[in-house]
Amino acid sequence: MALRRLSGVHAPHRKNTAAVAPVRMPVPAMLTIPMSMHIGAPAKPMVSPGDTVKVGQKIAEAGGFVSSPIYTGASGTVKKIEGVLASGGAYVPTVFIETDGQQEVSETVSPPEVTDLQSFLNAVRESGVVGLGGAGFPTAVKLAVKDLNQIEAVIINGAECEPYITSDTRTMLDDADLIMEGVALLQKYLEVKRIVFGIENNKPECIKKFQELTKGQKGVEVMALPSLYPQGGEKVLIYNVTGRMVPEGKLPLDVGAIVINCTTLAAIARYVKTGMPLIEKCVTVDGSAVKEPKNVIVPIGTPMKDVFEFCGGFKAEPKKVLYGGPMMGISVPDLEQPILKSTNAILAFDKKDAEPPRETACIKCGRCIAACPLNLMPADIETAFLLKDGAMLEKLRVNICMECGCCSFACPAKRPLVQTNKLAKQTLRAYQEAKKAEAEKAKAKEEAKKAEEAKTA
Amino acid sequence: MSENMIVSVSPHVRSGMTTQKIMAIVLIALIPAFAASIVFFGARAIAVVAVCACAAVISEYIFEKITKRPSTIGDLSAVVTGVLLAFNLPVSIPLWMAALGSAVAIVVVKQLFGGIGKNFANPAITARIVMLLAFPTAMTTWTAANTVIHTGAVDAVTGATPLGLMAAGETAALPGLSELFFGQCAGCLGETSALALLIGFVILLCTGVITWHTPVVYVATVFVFTWLIGEDPVRHILSGGLLLGAIFMATDYSSTPSTAWGRVIFGLGAGIITTFIRVWGNYPEGVSFSILLMNILTPHISNWTRSKPLGMIVEKKGAN
Amino acid sequence: MTKLDNFTKGIIRENPVLVLVLGTCPTLATSTQTSNAIGMGAAATIVLLCSNAAISALRKVIPDKVRIPCYIVLIAAFVTIVQMLVKAFAPSLNEALGIYLPLIVVNCIILGRAEMYANKNTVGDSVVDALGMGVGFTLTLFVMASIREIFGSGAWFGMAIPFLQNFKISIMTLAPGGFFVFGCLIAVVNRIMMKKGKPRRSLGCKSCPCAEACGKASCETEGKGAEA
Repeated sequence: MALRRLSGVHAPHRKNTAAVAPVRMPVPAMLTIPMSMHIGAPAKPMVSPGDTVKVGQKIAEAGGFVSSPIYTGASGTVKKIEGVLASGGAYVPTVFIETDGQQEVSETVSPPEVTDLQSFLNAVRESGVVGLGGAGFPTAVKLAVKDLNQIEAVIINGAECEPYITSDTRTMLDDADLIMEGVALLQKYLEVKRIVFGIENNKPECIKKFQELTKGQKGVEVMALPSLYPQGGEKVLIYNVTGRMVPEGKLPLDVGAIVINCTTLAAIARYVKTGMPLIEKCVTVDGSAVKEPKNVIVPIGTPMKDVFEFCGGFKAEPKKVLYGGPMMGISVPDLEQPILKSTNAILAFDKKDAEPPRETACIKCGRCIAACPLNLMPADIETAFLLKDGAMLEKLRVNICMECGCCSFACPAKRPLVQTNKLAKQTLRAYQEAKKAEAEKAKAKEEAKKAEEAKTA
Repeated sequence: MSENMIVSVSPHVRSGMTTQKIMAIVLIALIPAFAASIVFFGARAIAVVAVCACAAVISEYIFEKITKRPSTIGDLSAVVTGVLLAFNLPVSIPLWMAALGSAVAIVVVKQLFGGIGKNFANPAITARIVMLLAFPTAMTTWTAANTVIHTGAVDAVTGATPLGLMAAGETAALPGLSELFFGQCAGCLGETSALALLIGFVILLCTGVITWHTPVVYVATVFVFTWLIGEDPVRHILSGGLLLGAIFMATDYSSTPSTAWGRVIFGLGAGIITTFIRVWGNYPEGVSFSILLMNILTPHISNWTRSKPLGMIVEKKGAN
Repeated sequence: MTKLDNFTKGIIRENPVLVLVLGTCPTLATSTQTSNAIGMGAAATIVLLCSNAAISALRKVIPDKVRIPCYIVLIAAFVTIVQMLVKAFAPSLNEALGIYLPLIVVNCIILGRAEMYANKNTVGDSVVDALGMGVGFTLTLFVMASIREIFGSGAWFGMAIPFLQNFKISIMTLAPGGFFVFGCLIAVVNRIMMKKGKPRRSLGCKSCPCAEACGKASCETEGKGAEA
């Protein structure tokens, strides 16, 4: 459908854990559930220290329209609620739950009443589901479309382009029926005419399975994508499926597309079917320091170190631990960090893989320019950033950068181009704000002058 | 166990390509031409190449030592510059001149402008032009090539280069096309053998070190324009330093545009200027001057051929 | 500033060619041979002396708005005299300098010193300044020409140096070599000034002869003078 193939890089696949079904780990001793695991306002805790909680019980309500409620995946007692230093650097209020191992299910867990679009959206909201591909945007807000005719295609993201991660692959293989129920829900309530499964061609079993499941169904198709990182990036996916590029600053809905991760869809279907909200995640545990890499089903809030221990512990001292995949993942300073709603992998690397490479001078080879899926010019952006040239950064449209990491991956001089782009975005914003302020000052001066002339005239 | 973990920015996995590997691949691609130069010009070719490469590395090392900058000789770019300069010299060049040329290439053209990635002109080509102006007789004294291939063509190994003979109109003494293709004619060390250079081209293309745009467009432009003017196009692309320049010099990263269309324009401009100098100019060979002139135009070409970011919105003018 | 200081500043600290970067055209053109260079330097110094003295003497008389044409008339008069003298008594020098002798009229050093110094200072000070500038100019020309002639033609003052005959680097006598030597000398002077701890004085747009014609002259008022 697309006019041209977008660039990318051939990141190594390393899908070591794809073949085996996920294992459920025993409930950890303590759950630490941060109130902000999604884009938008943090959730507000509904429990206090000393309260007993049961599985599936709501412990925090949504903090605003763009927000999401939080449920607990283990039964036990709330120990404390305090601010914890999160990997992003901010202090996030976190609910500490001391588990009792009983896993008693809460009475509040019951399938919701879904009869029309509004009740469906309420159900999605109540499920606590956010973008489970890693972005963490509240799905209820994404699906709250005012004009249903605007939706031309819903793309189900089964690309999973990052190295190592296989949790979406397992969802597609093990929960395929839930995904199809989710498809049915979308067709029924959102009246979606076209649903496309986007699956990378390094997962041939998933493609085959869904081709069989969607055989004969009108309005549902399976598209095999090349195994080129970043096929799972929203803009890239939409372009490859619809041939349209989302303009800068706009949303996918403005080109008629909604992208929803396959695990997100499965979680919504699960809630509608059983009433169990989002309380646990299937997380890929891999990396050169992990003894037994596997996919693990863990309650949200489980500390990383418990998950690593369940996977046999470390065979080498972990020197770098990541949330997410190696291309866009965030490295964490300690192993106390919990599994969040948006976590789909934790990776631990030994010393050899952990050392960042030494950066050398840019040789202007242009590999970053060739690799960028959005046609940006990272080498020129770096030059403009070092010169603090806001006008040039605006010309180069650094604000479009999705920080996928292709440029840094391709760079032979090992330059931190993604980091430069992030900083350049700040420089650009400051420049644009200064420009706006000056324009307004000039306008005010003009108007004052005009007012004076009018007075004297 | 959890102290001293490394926290760094994404991405945490990188491609295996490094600057040093790129330069190593270029050197490997130059080996066929090096072998050809030894076959046709004898053992002195080794001395010239060795002196140039060593002088380049030593001058880079000394310069970086004096200016208290970190040493970059490990990235092999000085070696590449030295070897490429040597391939632009006649085999009889006095070794001290070759060494001086290498020093000029590295210190003046590359290091004084900021080092690797910041030079605006191709170091080897510019140094060759400097040497041409500095040592005019030594740079235009050509030795006959060793007769390795007996094709029965008339007088295949005179002392003047094919382009020199063409400019003087002495068509009788011209080497045959097969001599030109294999390299059995007078000229600079690395420029005579089209076969060896094409092997190098294939190596560079397959490893992704260069893209096809500049070399193909450059050579095609010369072919088309010489044909339009009425000269023999095949002879023109096989003679002189065109293939060496198009494949190895016009593809230098920092002095040429980095987008596909930019490279096309570069090749087009270089081809036109080369043809003009060869046919109507005072010099028999125009490749080095045309590459230098296009290097100077490169910032403007880059401005014109900037990639268009996908999804960018251009504000209509007059919207105030 | 003492008289001695006034004189010596023209040699390194405010060298007209290497620091003020004035008079580059005759510098590059006549520094191919040392004998020409000395001749050019001498001629320019004489004109500079006379014009500085005359302009300084007349500084209170010449109206500000027409000062440039007046200076040019004065300088042209002196150049004509010097040219006639050279034609008469040193015809070979006249041949060697060619067009650059009458071009001393528009030599930026002479007009520049008139603008920057002579029209604000006494005759005595102006003469010392002219002497310093002239000596600095001649010295620079001498050094540049020596380098270019020795490396480019293997000779000095026309006398061939035997062991350099096989090591001539002809580019030195051509334009590229000239510019290169020029740049190297400026670098050397910068280094000397840096070592002495004397920062380059920012001389501002006021001292430039083209200040009025150039559109950027107004940037002086905003405190952004051009750096020397």
